[in-house]
Amino acid sequence: MSIFLAILTYFGYVFVVTMYTVKAVKYLRRPRHLRWDLYPVMHEERYRYGGSYFEEIGGAAGARKKHRLRGILFLLKEYVTMGEYFKRRKDYWLALYPWHIGFILIIAFHIFTFFAAVVMLSGIPVSGDSPFTAGRIFYYVVLFVGVVSFASGIVGSVGVAVKRLTAGDLRDYATPQNYFTYVFCLAVFASGFYAWYFVDPTFSEYRQFWVGLITGKPVTVAPAAVLHIVLFDLFLIYLPFTRSMHYITRIFAFLFIRWDDEPNLRGSRLEAQLVSQLGQRVTWAAPHIKSGGTWADQVES
Amino acid sequence: MKKKVTVEDMARADLQLATLEPSCLMPLPPPYDGPNRIGELTEEQKARYEASLDGVIGVGVQKPQSPAEEEALCRNFLSGLRKLLTKENNWTFLQPLVHSLDYCVKCQLCSDSCPAYLASGKQEIYRPTFRPEVLRRIINKYVKKEGGLLRKLTSSDIELNFTLLARLEELAHRCTLCRRCAQVCPLGIDNALISREIRKLFSQEMGIAAKELHELGTVQQLKVGSSTGITPKALANIIAFMEDDMEEKTGRQIKIPVDKEGADVLLVHNAGEFLAWPENPEAFAILFDAMGIDWTLSSDLVGYDAVNYGIWYDDVQAARVAVRHAQAARRLKVKKIYVGECGHSHKALLVIADRILTGDLNIPRESFLPLMERFVTSGKARLDPSRNAFPVTLHDPCNMVRLMGIVEPQRKILRAICPDFREMTPHGVENYCCGGGSGFAIMQSMNFPDWRNAVSGRMKMKQVIEAFADKPDPGVKKYVCAPCSNCKGLLRDLITYHGAWEKSGIYYGGLVELVVNAMADLKKPYIDWEWH
Repeated sequence: MSIFLAILTYFGYVFVVTMYTVKAVKYLRRPRHLRWDLYPVMHEERYRYGGSYFEEIGGAAGARKKHRLRGILFLLKEYVTMGEYFKRRKDYWLALYPWHIGFILIIAFHIFTFFAAVVMLSGIPVSGDSPFTAGRIFYYVVLFVGVVSFASGIVGSVGVAVKRLTAGDLRDYATPQNYFTYVFCLAVFASGFYAWYFVDPTFSEYRQFWVGLITGKPVTVAPAAVLHIVLFDLFLIYLPFTRSMHYITRIFAFLFIRWDDEPNLRGSRLEAQLVSQLGQRVTWAAPHIKSGGTWADQVES
Repeated sequence: MKKKVTVEDMARADLQLATLEPSCLMPLPPPYDGPNRIGELTEEQKARYEASLDGVIGVGVQKPQSPAEEEALCRNFLSGLRKLLTKENNWTFLQPLVHSLDYCVKCQLCSDSCPAYLASGKQEIYRPTFRPEVLRRIINKYVKKEGGLLRKLTSSDIELNFTLLARLEELAHRCTLCRRCAQVCPLGIDNALISREIRKLFSQEMGIAAKELHELGTVQQLKVGSSTGITPKALANIIAFMEDDMEEKTGRQIKIPVDKEGADVLLVHNAGEFLAWPENPEAFAILFDAMGIDWTLSSDLVGYDAVNYGIWYDDVQAARVAVRHAQAARRLKVKKIYVGECGHSHKALLVIADRILTGDLNIPRESFLPLMERFVTSGKARLDPSRNAFPVTLHDPCNMVRLMGIVEPQRKILRAICPDFREMTPHGVENYCCGGGSGFAIMQSMNFPDWRNAVSGRMKMKQVIEAFADKPDPGVKKYVCAPCSNCKGLLRDLITYHGAWEKSGIYYGGLVELVVNAMADLKKPYIDWEWH
């Protein structure tokens, strides 16, 4: 059983990372599109009111500073606050927010547990009365993050399901997969909560499980913990088949679509890229199009 | 009670999906609270075109004459849809399109940002997520060919038939592409782009497009020189008239240079202004003269008409027009192109064309607004704000503001020359579209103008009324400043349709007219306040 559990866990992590990477690479390899800016653009000097370099004489040609960090911080802040939902639809935010916090924290829980296991392997005991500060910190962080994640996820999973079922505009566009996902999430979070509350109140067993994963010597855990681990592994395998990638692609969309205001300067790398794309053949069939010619040919016809 | 419409209903030929009863529309404040009716189509029109979306015809997709014809239409649509999803045929917008198709979670956060959806009384078909969902389901079923169980899990079913296709094309023309919906989406989904891509598919694959945008728009522009039908010869006559008109208004003999090789600046202006509002290009000539700018117009085909309707429905046509603009500038060896008061031309030449024009066609292109701001605020111009001592509000053209970030120059100008300037709510990058965006201002098909005035422009009308609410007396003349030709056209129609000139003394015009009106050394006012 312990070997099966370890293999499933290894597979779950490798699968989700591989699938997300493949999807991300595919997304990023799509050709450079025409500009489709949408303001405010957060890296602009005039971001407070949505201004751009087009407000200056010669602005497009001039060198200018992009405040990339401000843009990144803006995007990260939205993860933590989900501010647009809070601003525009508070009733939905009340369900969505704990649900998403549940996700973020359950990932953080696993990352912290992994590092707690590494710390344990270095000879530092992880517990509430560890003589080492690092041991105590990891103990309390893992405990806090894990419990909050499970509790928040349970509330959120029930909340979003209820909201999807009761709000007409959400229900009408919901798919069976939406509800399946909510139930699946609930099972993952609830099983985690159950395992913590009844079996492993300090997550010591779960840390040992991770030590086993790292050393390649799987350990046996209680059935309640097995259930949660299996469900979580299956959930990792399931994730790439959902729209969950939006956690990552939203960053791409802001950075590479909405805020992509890079001017095409003569002799630039961008220009070379565009010249190459204008050389691609078009097969559109409408009468006004020279089907089979390149994009550049279309313009000359 | 409104009928509950679902995405699946798009294929059902036995019912009209939306009925725009006047009582359903978003209310306007008195005295604008009377019923706004949308004209009925004739039986002949209904028999000829598919009109069962909302009883309105904007594009007018003709009904097929046989099952074979219907089948061919569906086949062609699917062929185009496959091309839309390839990088060769759609490198131009593939990444943003696929992002919006793949990652929308249908949280409906965008719904209340759409002025057409709100103004219609929240008709389901106008919800920003509705039409993308139709397209998404077609892709899942007919392009990705998802099997029965998977399809049932990930989306509901849909049937592809002529009714659905014709409605989808019409529905893509109930979105002004203002992109307010995209602006509020925390996931970066752009449902307006999907409207545009649907239009593009119909145009580039099936040759179906709104007549005013394609046949009378880009096709005529590329052939004759302007979507207005103005030929280079007619342009010469118009310019002679404008020079006389300027002399009469200002007492100055100002020459409008045409085809001046080696001039610093080529001004490209919406040719509709030459016909409908010559006072606007005349004001540019007066101001350029006052600034001492070495400028010229072009008489090359397309070079004298800044419009580029292609950006609303067809990438190929958009590229062709943009290249003609750049070729006109290259021939004249100008250093720079200035775009006049036309929002979509700004976006077409400065933003969209930026990734089409390469090499020596990539000539610097700018908005006129920073230049005008510098002129007004530098103190060099002798301007008397008391000449503009009437209430003025500013309409923000979506293309210039939300989609380009040109927000402050026009405000700095108005604050300097209009003592009673007041903002609309909301304004700047959160503005509402005039209702004429994406070509609606020029689409005159059947009862479409009624829909535009009663629905897509309704929110803007409400904003205008509210901006002047403190001065309802029609004897107090008020000015809606719209530095965009199409917005101005729609404001003219809105003011006429809602009787705002008679009821409240609301007038409209451009920005440069206000600047000229404030020029201290002009003997008489430049703005004539004559309703026409």
